[in-house]
Amino acid sequence: MTTNRSKALGAVLLSFTSFAALNAVERAAYAQSASPQTAAATPEQVAADARAASLKALAASVEALNALAKALAALPAPAAPATAPPAAQAAAAPKAAAAPKAAAAQESAAAALLAASRGSAAAAPAPAPVAAAPAVAAPAPAPIAAAPAAAAPAPAAVASASAPAPDAAAVAAASPPHWSTLPVVAPALPQVAQKDWVRNPIDAFVLAKIEAKGLKPSPDADRAAYIRRATLDVWGLIPSPEEVAAFVNDASPDAYEKLADRLLASPHYGERQARRWLDLARYADSAGFQGDATRQNYYRYRDYVIDAFNADKPYDLFIKEQIAGDELFPGDQNAHIATGFLTGYPDNPNSRDLVQRKFQITTDMVDTVGSSILGSTVGCARCHNHKTDKFTMKDYYSLQAFFANTSTTEDFPAKKGPAEEAYAKNLQKYLDSIKELEDKRTALLAPYKQAALTYHKERYLTDSREAIFKPEKDWTPQDRWVNHRLVNKNVTNDDIIGGGYLRYIADDKEAPGHGPEAKKNFEDYQKLTVELRKFDIQKPQRGSDTFTGVEELGHADAPKTFIFSGGNHERPTDEVLPAFPANLTEQEPVIKPTATSSGRRTALANWIASRENPLTSRVYANRVWSQYFSTGIVRTVNDFGKAGDRPTNQELLDYLADNFAQKGWSVKQLHRQILLSNTYRQSSDYRPEVAKADLDNKLLAVFPRQRLEAEEIRDALLVASGKLEDRVGGPSVFPPVPANLGAAQLAWPVSKNPKDWYRRSVYIFTRRSVPYPLLEAFNAPNTQQVHATREVTTTPLQALTLINDEQVFQLTQAIAGRVIREAGPDENAQFTRLFQILFSRNPDDFERAALARFLDDHQKVLTRRILDGKFTLAEPIALKEDEISNPIRLSAFVDLVHTVVNSNDFVYRF
Amino acid sequence: MSLQSRRQMLFRTTLGAGGLTLSSLMPGGGIFAASAAELADPLAPKNPHFAAKAKSVIWLHMDGAPSTLDLFDYKPELIRLAGQEVPASFLQGIKTSTQGGVGKLFASKREWKQYGESGAWFSDLVPNIGKHADKIAFIKDSKTVGATHDISILKLNTGDVQPGRPSLGAWVSYALGSANPDLPSYVVLYDGNREPTGGSVNWSSGFLPAVYQGTAFRPGDSPIIDLDHPELVSDPQQREELNLLKALNEHRSALRPEDTELLARSRSYELAYRMEKSAPEAIDLSKETDATKEAYGLNDNATKGYGTNLLRARRLVERGVRFIQVVSGPIADTGGVDRNWDAHSSLEKNHSGHTKAVDKPIGALLQDLKDRGLLETTLVVWTSEFGRTSYGQSGDGRDHNPWGYTQWLAGGGSKAGYTHGATDEIGLRSIGKGVDTYDVHATVLNLLGLDHLKVTYQRAGRRERPTVVYGEVVPELIA
Repeated sequence: MTTNRSKALGAVLLSFTSFAALNAVERAAYAQSASPQTAAATPEQVAADARAASLKALAASVEALNALAKALAALPAPAAPATAPPAAQAAAAPKAAAAPKAAAAQESAAAALLAASRGSAAAAPAPAPVAAAPAVAAPAPAPIAAAPAAAAPAPAAVASASAPAPDAAAVAAASPPHWSTLPVVAPALPQVAQKDWVRNPIDAFVLAKIEAKGLKPSPDADRAAYIRRATLDVWGLIPSPEEVAAFVNDASPDAYEKLADRLLASPHYGERQARRWLDLARYADSAGFQGDATRQNYYRYRDYVIDAFNADKPYDLFIKEQIAGDELFPGDQNAHIATGFLTGYPDNPNSRDLVQRKFQITTDMVDTVGSSILGSTVGCARCHNHKTDKFTMKDYYSLQAFFANTSTTEDFPAKKGPAEEAYAKNLQKYLDSIKELEDKRTALLAPYKQAALTYHKERYLTDSREAIFKPEKDWTPQDRWVNHRLVNKNVTNDDIIGGGYLRYIADDKEAPGHGPEAKKNFEDYQKLTVELRKFDIQKPQRGSDTFTGVEELGHADAPKTFIFSGGNHERPTDEVLPAFPANLTEQEPVIKPTATSSGRRTALANWIASRENPLTSRVYANRVWSQYFSTGIVRTVNDFGKAGDRPTNQELLDYLADNFAQKGWSVKQLHRQILLSNTYRQSSDYRPEVAKADLDNKLLAVFPRQRLEAEEIRDALLVASGKLEDRVGGPSVFPPVPANLGAAQLAWPVSKNPKDWYRRSVYIFTRRSVPYPLLEAFNAPNTQQVHATREVTTTPLQALTLINDEQVFQLTQAIAGRVIREAGPDENAQFTRLFQILFSRNPDDFERAALARFLDDHQKVLTRRILDGKFTLAEPIALKEDEISNPIRLSAFVDLVHTVVNSNDFVYRF
Repeated sequence: MSLQSRRQMLFRTTLGAGGLTLSSLMPGGGIFAASAAELADPLAPKNPHFAAKAKSVIWLHMDGAPSTLDLFDYKPELIRLAGQEVPASFLQGIKTSTQGGVGKLFASKREWKQYGESGAWFSDLVPNIGKHADKIAFIKDSKTVGATHDISILKLNTGDVQPGRPSLGAWVSYALGSANPDLPSYVVLYDGNREPTGGSVNWSSGFLPAVYQGTAFRPGDSPIIDLDHPELVSDPQQREELNLLKALNEHRSALRPEDTELLARSRSYELAYRMEKSAPEAIDLSKETDATKEAYGLNDNATKGYGTNLLRARRLVERGVRFIQVVSGPIADTGGVDRNWDAHSSLEKNHSGHTKAVDKPIGALLQDLKDRGLLETTLVVWTSEFGRTSYGQSGDGRDHNPWGYTQWLAGGGSKAGYTHGATDEIGLRSIGKGVDTYDVHATVLNLLGLDHLKVTYQRAGRRERPTVVYGEVVPELIA
């Protein structure tokens, strides 16, 4: 791609992306011609009308097109791309004067085009502007699509090297641009009949669709149901009975606003929202693979995410820090920790093929960014041109090139605070306790050190070895990466000298230095090692005085990136440079190397986090929406490509996305708007007529009830029991696990401080090979790749977990104790309190009767148990002497609570 | 009541929303998510693509990679050349490490014998498996990628060297459903006192719904996590709790008559209650005869752990479990460390120990399946992440060998008494195309009546299949 041509195209396309400006004009036109009759048209009609209108506009502007083509042809660009963006150019005309280097001829041609399109838009039936975005873009498919193909000759060259591409390119060129690749444009508000139902713009977009189906929205949920729903959705916790009562009795007109603001201001908000982001970041506190080594300082990244949400860090900045915090904000520890987003990949530290490792790691970074932030299945193009989206292998490897110089370092020194100092002190204590043994072992091994290091290095595979044995002055950027990886994994430790080399020369008769001395030393080494292992458990299992992040090793020059045929890193073909995907933008990355870094990730981050990017705001707005309404507006939240679902309500999504970016990318504002919509306030009660008309509830005429997520179930139990240890952040904790889990002591060293057992689930140590069973049972995220959707499966193993798990049972005992303490001896009052705590409602008569009957029957069962010689009974926890009247009855009450905790009303929010 | 009729009853009694689990596969479901397709139980039995030869698979993973050169792949030329450098021609084009890597050609002190009518060779380490030579289809040209265990084990089980894909057992569960509503359809057995290294990622459902993941049956009497009641809750107590639970749930569900997900959740407790009995019963060996226990080696500490798992595996096959993944456990090695088959040194000691642990039980399993008429429909796969090199390491060990090694199939419609492919004269590399793990997966699926190209799952823009973008059925392995 020649620079001149791409600049020219860039200028044109830049104005294309800003054709949002047209919206204001169209809104005006819309306002003038809006009428009740047209408002009743179905969405399909609206879209069809809009398309027809736009086609007319296009026909009327053929002349203008020709003029524009001529004007562009005068630029140093070939004719084909010149025809590419006319429609866009026309649409952007109000801003044309501001567009850089816009030739006078262009301007006049564009103005003519605009006049044509505006004229017809105004003449068109009123709703046309509602569908403005697709309609304007739709008539110009061929030229726009032609642009990337023609402007980027390289993919074609690649294509001829790998078989299927020419076809793919041809197909791509012939199809219209996909909706999600078009700029986000704020749509006009649709007309609705039930105007008083519209609390904020969300409701207008939702209601228009509901009314188009001849339905009505549901009435408000009762306030108690609403606050339980909202508290779970925003905090991931259940509200206290007092919070429920206060809200239910709040007669002020802004009761809902006050509630929303209170929820959003609490650190619980950040804990809950962070958990969902951590799903995308495939967060884990261990490396995975066989060794599954602990990443003892990685909780700092988790805390960064929690803090970012709580501080309402603008989403664009949030993304920039995670992709390029080290480059953008040198010296800012938090921004550097943010790059832990890139380092969360599963890793096998003992890999002997470091060149392959580099490829796997880069692949993970690109796929993670592509999938989580861009909602794009870019990874498909690793082995072949994308089958459904216009995404070539060149596009893919050009994205990899942004990360080519990125290395991970796991031991940057952290700023010293009390926690760091305490950790360092504990570590020192441990080191002191093993010093004598350690010194002995080191002395024993000292003579072997050099030979062992060489021996160890020789164990790497051919291409890694070339880099490892090269003198530093001859290192290529890739060699630098390989050697950093080698040293970073600390190959010179005693295990490698003793367990590797010394074992080898002790065992192998042909090894240099084999003999009785080596044998004796190896035996001594083994004895010392066994002794030392006894101290392992005293090593601080939690905390750190370091952090993990990426760096570029102080160099601005990056390793070359190649297209790998069939995704095989041993089969490089053409070299590529960093470039944005051609189907999304014509922009060229502006890469400014720093003294210590290539600047590549900064260029990528700036583009991803810009308002011009058509995906970033849409994808995130859709994710937040899906948290509240169970499914996204685009149901395939990770795939905004052609194989993904189309949005059920694109105007709504574009409104949310546009507004999100307009409001300074404030995530809290996005949440607040949803929380305060009437759409969210609806009851989830069953309505047969809605069920019949809208089986999948795509219209949202009824609020979708939802099963609690894994963490919510456990955290709600902690709240109910009063045992929640409510602290934000810090090293991950190890609550007790079922006895037959069989996790090794070092893999799951149960926290000594029982308070740690009751931290929120987001703080539980995420060990890739030993998922915490209680969470695992309820569809906790898979930590190997970006995890987009919390599935809901219903299995007997879940039932076993809630009905049999000892931890759950003990929490149940605590809930029983709390209920009795708070409600007093009257059983009816106890039932009321129990239901208020767990369900935010009172029991009805049926339920009261069932509970009372259970106590009577169960008392008999328990009496029989005692007669059978089993004298231990479960008691409610923490009752005073005078609260214990009849132990058998109280034990029956524990079982009653245990049952109620298992009920659907607890595990769902309605 | 037969398993089939029990399932039918379940369907009849629950508005067709029955089975082991019911899921709204859509994210979050939503009250109206219960479209016709989703009413179906995700584990309801599904028809294969064509007539299946095998109903169940027992997947014997030899963890750590045995040297098949010392078990099945008899190489007189290697014995002749032992002690010499590897001729350069044999190493061309393969990436090796130079240290602890390519040593001199190494032969262990084996005695070799031909067994059965097929005349297949077996070493003195596996005499009991040798007795079943005519039941076995050897794949002597197995190959894979990877130089370390973890990535190659992942590839063996999931088809990728990076975690995240579903394991073969998960695909089978997904494609065929469960034949027994009271047990998981995909069970993992391991011995030793803790989970195999790498853990559950090797029986993960990956991007498939979690309902298809393997359930680890842990050693001991309580195979499933949280299968036993809390200490202070007896069975009659729990029965009453479940009765109350049912009443409370049904009372509220009446407000949402069409919400099948809530109904399914209520019912899952009854299934769980049954599983509390059926899972321990499935692995309870007390009703097995003394002769059977003796055959599987339950009376000998060396064979007890693995033998117990294989006997459990047979019981699970009898109960309709589709896929049973058995991971061989570590045994005591030098220096008080437990070690799997990974014999970089002291191969003699290591492999004597491991073959002692598995040879007799595997022989017993093949005989037992045959005697019970189950071998025809049960595919036994003897497999490992890679093999070991013909050249020695540390004097008396062998390094990893992904280029040529032996695996085998028995029963389930595989071709008995057959040997497929071969390695070169020194047993280092497969000759010709070779059989990769993907091809093994495709072949196993074929024997289960499944076309590996048609077992697909739509995920984030990709139509995923078990064999990624590779894999061919090896027709010669099929009877």
